[in-house]
Amino acid sequence: MDLSRYAALFLTESRDHLGACNQLLLDWERDPRATEPVVGIFRAMHTFKGMAAAMGYANLTELAHRTENLLDLLRSDPGLANRELHDLLFQIVDALESGAGEAVAGNDAKLEFSGLIGKLDHASVATQPTGSWAIPARSAEPVVGVTGRAVSIAIRPDAPMRGARALLALRKAESLGTVAAVRPAPAAFEQDEFDGRFSFRLESEVPDEELRRLLATAGDVASVELSAETAAPAARGAEPAGDATGRTRQIRVDLRRLDALMNQVGELVVAKGRLAELVASHGSPDLQALSQRISRVVAEMQTEIIQARMTPVWQVFDRFPRVVRDLSRQLGKRVAFQVEGEEIELDRSVLDEIGEPLLHLLRNAVDHGIEAPAERKRRSKPAEAIIRLIASRERNVVAIRVQDDGQGIDREQILQRALKEGLVEPGTGVLSDDQLLRILSRPGFSTATTVTDVSGRGMGMDAVFSRIRTLGGSVHLATEAGVGSTFTLRIPSTLAILRALLARVGEERYAVPMMSVAETMEFNPMAATAVQGREALLLRDEVIPTVHLRERLGAQGKRAVGRRPTIILDVGGRRAALVVDALLGQQEIVVEAFDSPRGMLPVFSGATILGDGVPVLILDPAALV
Amino acid sequence: MSHTVLVCDDAIFMRTMISDILSQAGFEVVGEAETGREAVERYRQLKPDLVTMDIVMPDMGGIEAVREICREDPDAKILMCSAMGQQALVVEAVQAGAKDFVVKPFQPSRVLEAVQRILG
Repeated sequence: MDLSRYAALFLTESRDHLGACNQLLLDWERDPRATEPVVGIFRAMHTFKGMAAAMGYANLTELAHRTENLLDLLRSDPGLANRELHDLLFQIVDALESGAGEAVAGNDAKLEFSGLIGKLDHASVATQPTGSWAIPARSAEPVVGVTGRAVSIAIRPDAPMRGARALLALRKAESLGTVAAVRPAPAAFEQDEFDGRFSFRLESEVPDEELRRLLATAGDVASVELSAETAAPAARGAEPAGDATGRTRQIRVDLRRLDALMNQVGELVVAKGRLAELVASHGSPDLQALSQRISRVVAEMQTEIIQARMTPVWQVFDRFPRVVRDLSRQLGKRVAFQVEGEEIELDRSVLDEIGEPLLHLLRNAVDHGIEAPAERKRRSKPAEAIIRLIASRERNVVAIRVQDDGQGIDREQILQRALKEGLVEPGTGVLSDDQLLRILSRPGFSTATTVTDVSGRGMGMDAVFSRIRTLGGSVHLATEAGVGSTFTLRIPSTLAILRALLARVGEERYAVPMMSVAETMEFNPMAATAVQGREALLLRDEVIPTVHLRERLGAQGKRAVGRRPTIILDVGGRRAALVVDALLGQQEIVVEAFDSPRGMLPVFSGATILGDGVPVLILDPAALV
Repeated sequence: MSHTVLVCDDAIFMRTMISDILSQAGFEVVGEAETGREAVERYRQLKPDLVTMDIVMPDMGGIEAVREICREDPDAKILMCSAMGQQALVVEAVQAGAKDFVVKPFQPSRVLEAVQRILG
């Protein structure tokens, strides 16, 4: 049997299982006496061992086997594990993770785990109630694909707390056999949006009818569906939630293929636009019909590919709990890290880009946001701080919040630094959240009083901002002294193609992303008002400052007199009225990679090529409001 | 012999109401507790067949009490009594070992259904 064919699958599945171990270890640490985490890790380790053995990776198998034995001992009394043991298990999971990569590269024989195995042996002795040196021997078990039944349960839609009810049903199932591949992940049960439908695989001897009856005793169960299932387990997330019947068939596709396909479709969209223009100006009715048909097909194709690229955010979020744990430990802080909205989807390439900015914000929250336990106690806050990472959908964008219940950003300190560096006018009073954010996003502006290896160097706040802006997104800050800070990133859920409003100033055309366009109207200079020395217009009793694009861009020509078309921009609630010379209509544009040349005005987020082949700059609404 | 119940809630009103619902259905309310700590102590003394547990109580909350009781008696049959909007806490309680839950305001029929499920 040619095992290399399975290597990639082994690798992805291993990561899933070991990733789960990390999460469970964190749970265990938080609640040392709980049995579920240990049982979960034990199961994951067992599965990993089976896969490694099947691949013939002896060293990996050995380490996993020893770990499994130790976990087996701990299952009956998880409280026996101490801090060192948790640390050891974290190390082992790391070692297995990197080891899996090495093994696939053909280096299993070179893997050296004797140090870890020594520590494991030692721990096993300490854990054995009898004090015996013997480590229970276990013959390598044959690897079997997961057999059993796929179970789909729906909780009655009118039931209160469907998530908690679902958890009860799941616990019931766990009492009847071995549960695996729970979708959505039980973490999603706590979400208010959870609709009460979930599925899992169950290995159990209980006959179908009896199983149905027993599962229904969890209460408020609307339906229990069972189906025989013998296929190998799909990797986590490969299946959409609620479908464990095995009817959806999946393949794994190299992302570069999807990128290439996306680019080609991008080209097609541009060509389609050009074709439509030509046909409109001198085409026959036949050609027009054909052109319309092509437009439809291209649009559908585009939707399909965009859909295929959508990836749930947990793929990036999953590594954060561990980071937060390690960091808070290192800094002697106590943090409960909560993640919500893991199932929200983003375009794969967008997702790849936000990992680092989020990491930075999280580190900041741990390092500067929250106080040390003693300090928190003094302020009569719980010693354990809460950091939340929340993804949610807001119309056509995804909002990701990093929230801490720490001390808030020190406005006075920032103001003093900003005054010293000449970033604000002398005499500036209390800084607003927006002003604060603008100052923090200045390159090189760091508030870390001491440079630690955590933050204070590395990717700065300015880098976070520019990265998010490049994605066409925006950043928002809300902070209150003693209560905490929340950074909100708003990002378009898909990148490559976006709808834009085309506007003209002088001879140049510019594209404005539709996601930031609230409405368009006519600007009448006669009706303009002034607020704090700035020109503004009144829109349904709301005062909106105007931005004359012509002046902002330093374009030739005078500000035109008379009425002008105006675009009302809205970025996370901040508004501006962008006055232009003419509006040219909406169009789909393909965003091109964009390296902003030095000295260029920081109001562009990218470029695109229109149907007629002329390049056009894309305005960054966040820089204009 | 009728089942024995320990009712834990910091509000007399709630304790009375739960006691009434259960007594009328033939259960014997053998004790009450108004803090989590008291709940743990009373459980030890009384070894009731069923416990109803409020989530938010002074001096050790309900979840902590569940954890404590289940550590000593993994078979303890605890019914959580929760207010609306406390789903995350209920989930935590279930993870800690609670066997079922009811949501305030109580409907006697739902409380009894849950109790039947637990004592099954």
